[in-house]
Amino acid sequence: MASTSTRSARPPFNSSSPSSSSQANLRNQEDKLKGSTAARNPISVRLHKVLATNYDDPAIREALETLSDLYRNRDDVGKRASEEVGSSQTGGSIAVEKLTVGSGIAARARKNLRRDAEIKLTQSTQQFLKAFKEVDSKLDGLQEHIDAMQSRCDEAQGQLQSTNEECKSLLDRAGGLRSARHAVNDRQFAVDSFIIRFSLTENEINTLQSRDIQVDANFFRTMRKADRIIQDARVLMSGDEGPSKAGVEIISTTSQQLEQGYDKIARWCALEFRQFVRDAQLDVSPLMREAVKWLRNRPELLTDALSVLAQTRQATLLNTFMDALTRGGPGGIPRPIEIHAHDPLRYVGDMLAWVHQAIAGEREFLEALFDVKGEDRMVGSVRIFKESEEEEWIQDLMDKAFEKLRSPLRLRVRQTIRSQESSITTYKVANLLTFYNTTMQRTIGEKAGLSNTLNEISDEAYGVFFDTLEAQARNLARTILPDNQDVQPPATLLDHTQILREIISVYTGSLLGNESMDEKREGFRSVLDLTVDASISMCSSVADARKVQKPTWDKDTFLLNCLDHLLVVLRPHDFADYKVKALQDEIESRADLLASDHYQNIIHEAGLADCLAVCNDKTSNEPLSHIGAMQPRELASHLQAFAQWLSSPDVVRSPRLAHLNDQRLADRVHREALRSLAAAYEKVCVEVRKPENRYEAANTVLGGARPFGSLNALRQIMGVGEGSG
Amino acid sequence: MSSEDNEGDATELLETYDFLLKFIVIGEAGTGKSCLLHHFTHNRFKDHSQHTIGVEFSSRTIKLGEKRIKLQLWDTAGQERFRSVTRSYYRGAAGAILVYDITNRSSFTNLFRWLEDARALASPHLVTVLVGNKSDREEDREVEWSEASQWASQNGVHFVETSSLSGDNVESPFLLAARAILLSIESGVLDPEKAGSGVSYGDRALRRVNSSSRLSFGSLSGRKKRNPIRLKIKDLVPSPLQGRCC
Repeated sequence: MASTSTRSARPPFNSSSPSSSSQANLRNQEDKLKGSTAARNPISVRLHKVLATNYDDPAIREALETLSDLYRNRDDVGKRASEEVGSSQTGGSIAVEKLTVGSGIAARARKNLRRDAEIKLTQSTQQFLKAFKEVDSKLDGLQEHIDAMQSRCDEAQGQLQSTNEECKSLLDRAGGLRSARHAVNDRQFAVDSFIIRFSLTENEINTLQSRDIQVDANFFRTMRKADRIIQDARVLMSGDEGPSKAGVEIISTTSQQLEQGYDKIARWCALEFRQFVRDAQLDVSPLMREAVKWLRNRPELLTDALSVLAQTRQATLLNTFMDALTRGGPGGIPRPIEIHAHDPLRYVGDMLAWVHQAIAGEREFLEALFDVKGEDRMVGSVRIFKESEEEEWIQDLMDKAFEKLRSPLRLRVRQTIRSQESSITTYKVANLLTFYNTTMQRTIGEKAGLSNTLNEISDEAYGVFFDTLEAQARNLARTILPDNQDVQPPATLLDHTQILREIISVYTGSLLGNESMDEKREGFRSVLDLTVDASISMCSSVADARKVQKPTWDKDTFLLNCLDHLLVVLRPHDFADYKVKALQDEIESRADLLASDHYQNIIHEAGLADCLAVCNDKTSNEPLSHIGAMQPRELASHLQAFAQWLSSPDVVRSPRLAHLNDQRLADRVHREALRSLAAAYEKVCVEVRKPENRYEAANTVLGGARPFGSLNALRQIMGVGEGSG
Repeated sequence: MSSEDNEGDATELLETYDFLLKFIVIGEAGTGKSCLLHHFTHNRFKDHSQHTIGVEFSSRTIKLGEKRIKLQLWDTAGQERFRSVTRSYYRGAAGAILVYDITNRSSFTNLFRWLEDARALASPHLVTVLVGNKSDREEDREVEWSEASQWASQNGVHFVETSSLSGDNVESPFLLAARAILLSIESGVLDPEKAGSGVSYGDRALRRVNSSSRLSFGSLSGRKKRNPIRLKIKDLVPSPLQGRCC
């Protein structure tokens, strides 16, 4: 319906649009007119102006369209109004009215524009008023709401305020709690650290207690920790308020755990110790060393474990010793020691060398076990025993380890030395035993049981040796000289000194070279005393016996020869010097005796004995020339005999003394006798020259035969000087 | 078990060893046996030394490849009067260090007697190393290197010259002997389990054997296989330098 109305409204414009071209034509005409006629005519100006109005101008066009819309709207409004008035009217009437409206619009518009416009304005204003009224009432409502809101807000504000007030204390409390929590955390941390520091974890406790967990490095770490805990906990015990409860508890718990650890170590050690069944060449694992180090804090546990070790080692060493004795090495090589039992030195030496090597090995093993550094010992120097706990343990264990070995060793050595007949072999064995005793004591010390055994058996060996020596001495004492025995040392003495020589060579061979002179002397004194004294007493007793049987037998020379023989044997050895001295003294005194005896002999042989006897026996005042051998005739024959004797070879060398083995001694004795003889001759000469003895021509009496009364001549003949020679 | 072993190895001290070997040091008196040994164990010259009395004992652990070997060393007196004593110590020795003095011909001429003794009394697989000592006194030399070397090869012993004064070469005789013995063990000629062989297992080797018997011999011989090659170069070709240098 509207479209039809617009179509119907358009025709005026449509009809006017073809007229625009005619209008242009018109204008062109007018321009011609203008050109021709003057354009000053206002009407024409106006006209021109009107005509010149361009309706294509969009502003105008818009204004017109607004206007046109206005009216159409008005129609619509009117139509609506009419429709409102008579809504029940039929459609036919509307179509008629519309038709009328369409036709009259332009005219009415020209007439009522202003009015219409005003009406419209008024209507609009009224509408505004109405609208504002509504708005106003709405605003009132709004105001109410806002007020209400305001009051609510105030209320809320109030509440907020009060809540804030209330919250403040809460916040304070929260802050307090927070700091309290902080403090609690700190304490928790401290407690945790405390627990970590002062207690063992479940695992660690298990490590210490459980039998299923091996003893290993971890175990010892745990032990260290437990130990440290106890150490640290002692600090807790030393507070101002006395021991703290925690400290007491920690110490008691941990100590208990530590003890269990110790027990475990002890069990483990005992078990491991039973494995040490190999011979002397043992190695110690670091774990074992650590275990022993720990156990040293618990001596009673260590003692128990070590007694197991001692038993094991004891049995092992005994077994290996017996194996070495009876079985030898693998496949019998090296051969068993007992195969050489017939050779006492080798047998005993091999046994003792075995023991010595076992000792060295055992000692090294124990030093490793107790982690004792083998001191920087110079090869060959004596071990210096330090007073230390380890040293005590080691000594004790060494002692025990070799305890069982002692009796088979002793038994065998004893058998060997008892079965020896030769004192030399016995002496060699005894010396060997002493040597090993000294050597081993450097390792095991003097107090060791094995040292005791070695002392015992070497004492025993020496005992047997001295028994043999004494038996020999007794045999010697029973010596009977053969009938044709000359003044040379008898065969029994030579045998005896031969044995002595060998014993001496064994002794010198056994010297280590560092003994003092006294030690060397003392080491052989008893042997020397026994053998030499027995020899001397034998000699003198057999000499006495022979002298009784055969008074012409030259006992003195025999004894001197025997003593000299002994002296020759002993003289090269400095340790026998005291015996040499004694022998020399003995020889000296016997030589003096011999010298006087010899003097008696030669003075008889020389024929002066009777004369001298008269001179010496002179008691009365009777002149000597009147007494016995000193009567001038007798005296002359005696002096003649003396002169003869002086020219015999006996003056130079006595046939008797030629039997002395020591010719220097013989010479000395002879000279001494000659000197005495010269003194005797001198005495006779002096007496003869004395006037009171009433010799007529004393010088003639003396000068009848050599040495013609001259002492110097006599000394020259005899080859002796004045006084001592 | 295995972890324990590892820990054990980590904290292992120097004292543990794989094998323990017994050595004797022999030779005429005054050839410097004790000094040689002293230098070997103490790493310094022993001054003013006296004659050894009987026997002396010392020990040292050496390292050969991956093996630690403890040597038990028995130093014997060379003097004749101790002969009967020292002979008892030959029993069950695995190695002998036979020492002579290059400046003293008589100490060389008697060598055969010593070797004979040692072979008769020690372990049947005795390894002997001939040592010409006092190589620092070249000007007094009475025994030529070549002569001694020839003697050594004729008698099947190793040979080195040493100086216990300067410390020159003092370790080689001991190392040579130890190597040769290790070879014997590896080839099965020597059994450390048996007493009297002069050789025994140490804790390290034992633990290896005990803890994993499956691996024990494989790993033992597998590791050792490397040694012989090095050995051959060193001890079968004794270069003059090795024996003679200053």
